Amino acid sequence: MNTRLEDSALVLPGLLLVAFAFLLPIAQMIGLSVQGETGPTLAHFTRFLGDPYHLGVLWRTVRLSLLITLICVAIGFPYAYIAARVGPRLRLWLVLIVVLPLMTSVVVRTFGWMVLLSRNGLVSEAVRELGLGRRNYQVMQTEAAIVIGMVQVLLPFMTLSILGVITKIDTRLEEAARTMGASFLGTLRTVVLPLAMPGIVAGSLLVFTLSASSFVTPNLLGGARIQMLASSIYRSMTQTLDWPFAAAQAVILFVGVFLVLIPYVRVASGGDRG
Amino acid sequence: MVNRVPWWLGVLAVLFLVLTTVYLLAPLVVVVGVSVSESQFVAFPPTGFSLRWYGEALTSDAFLSAAWLSLRVAVLVTLSTVVVGGMAAVAIHRRKLPGASVMEALFLSPLVLPTIIYAVGMLMLWSQLFGPVSLLALWVGHTVIALPYVVRTTLAVLSRADPFLEEAAATMGAGRIARLRHIVLPQAAPGLAAGAFFAFNISFDEAVVALFLRNPNLTTLPVQIYGRLEFSPDPSVAAVSTVMIAITVGLIVVIDRVIGIKSVA
Repeated sequence: MNTRLEDSALVLPGLLLVAFAFLLPIAQMIGLSVQGETGPTLAHFTRFLGDPYHLGVLWRTVRLSLLITLICVAIGFPYAYIAARVGPRLRLWLVLIVVLPLMTSVVVRTFGWMVLLSRNGLVSEAVRELGLGRRNYQVMQTEAAIVIGMVQVLLPFMTLSILGVITKIDTRLEEAARTMGASFLGTLRTVVLPLAMPGIVAGSLLVFTLSASSFVTPNLLGGARIQMLASSIYRSMTQTLDWPFAAAQAVILFVGVFLVLIPYVRVASGGDRG
Repeated sequence: MVNRVPWWLGVLAVLFLVLTTVYLLAPLVVVVGVSVSESQFVAFPPTGFSLRWYGEALTSDAFLSAAWLSLRVAVLVTLSTVVVGGMAAVAIHRRKLPGASVMEALFLSPLVLPTIIYAVGMLMLWSQLFGPVSLLALWVGHTVIALPYVVRTTLAVLSRADPFLEEAAATMGAGRIARLRHIVLPQAAPGLAAGAFFAFNISFDEAVVALFLRNPNLTTLPVQIYGRLEFSPDPSVAAVSTVMIAITVGLIVVIDRVIGIKSVA
């Protein structure tokens, strides 16, 4: 009985903080999103969903996030597999290469991409050299810039999710498949890939939601013309000062992320609790 | 024996690793490169070698006051997350409270909620209740998003600790406070330390909450850099960014020493 009292005292400050500084702001935002001049209204939502410009922003957000997620899987899975199967020394380096950018400020990383993708940047020049873009072509302020930058920002989440699952796969399963005559690639496809699925799914949902809601990188690399949902929210908050509309957009993002996250929580709690 | 990987796949794998490494590290290398350039302009590869932009950054009031604010907030956030999150993790770990797993999910939930949604809500609530944002607002905001990391690392470390030590101490007559201090705290210490470094790093590097909760007197270092990137970056921005990268590298080294970088992954 006394232990309960002690535990309650230990957990109480945290609970108060989460209740008042986390749950309350979200509730406040949801409240503001349906607030009209004369009472509750859905006008802010219908305004968003009835406007081709805003629907375009939403569609671009979903489309680019899907693309970014796919590319992250395509790079993250082989990287994680190699990292899981090499010796411990090399593995440490491979993990460090992923963790270092992950822990570096997104603003700093985006700055690096701005330099590389600008008119005189290495990437833009390479694109011109290869004859893929016209003279004076720059990658900055295109959707391609957003994708290039965002994949670099989010790849660590994907790689670490998959790595966590692959390191738990029993290598004897792969050896068994090889002994039975499966080729290396065949083993990868029929043994490793299905077993790594929980990590791929978890990583994909994480990358998708982070991508759909990220603001700094798309805003700086895409410029004012190529808006994504988060930059649109920021603009409504700080430039047009239309807070109820900003709240409505945030709620739309919140609902979208929530719908995507339900399966994520299921996979995460069923998959890698052990 | 089964022959291992075909040779051409090995070559392909090496090539893939090299390309991915270049891709992941390129923006960081570029920023460091720009910072030591002699040129007036932001350009890569750098022309010449000079540390003048570091001097420029170190004498800029805007950068210095932003760095000072970031440092103060990060230290405050580290202290508050370690105390509040550490205590909560100890209680949740014991599983004696009803709804302990619900509480765990609650404490970890800021991890999955997009930061921009939280930042919007926080600014709306704060301005409604208290008016203009302040250091306190930033402290609270960053504490909320850094808290899950401390709770998670501490829970992970505690789950590997010997559960009978506390019981043994109790049998030997150790009181509540003594047990917390001499048994639980040392057991939780590596998790608390790792969580502290994460909390510091997250608060110091965070841009979204800080962008929403800003005013001319309340501009953190990442927000200052963000503003310069929108407007007109010169190599002094790269110098400041390089310092931030150096701090991150330092924190990673310390985390590796304290708990091993593998437990991060």
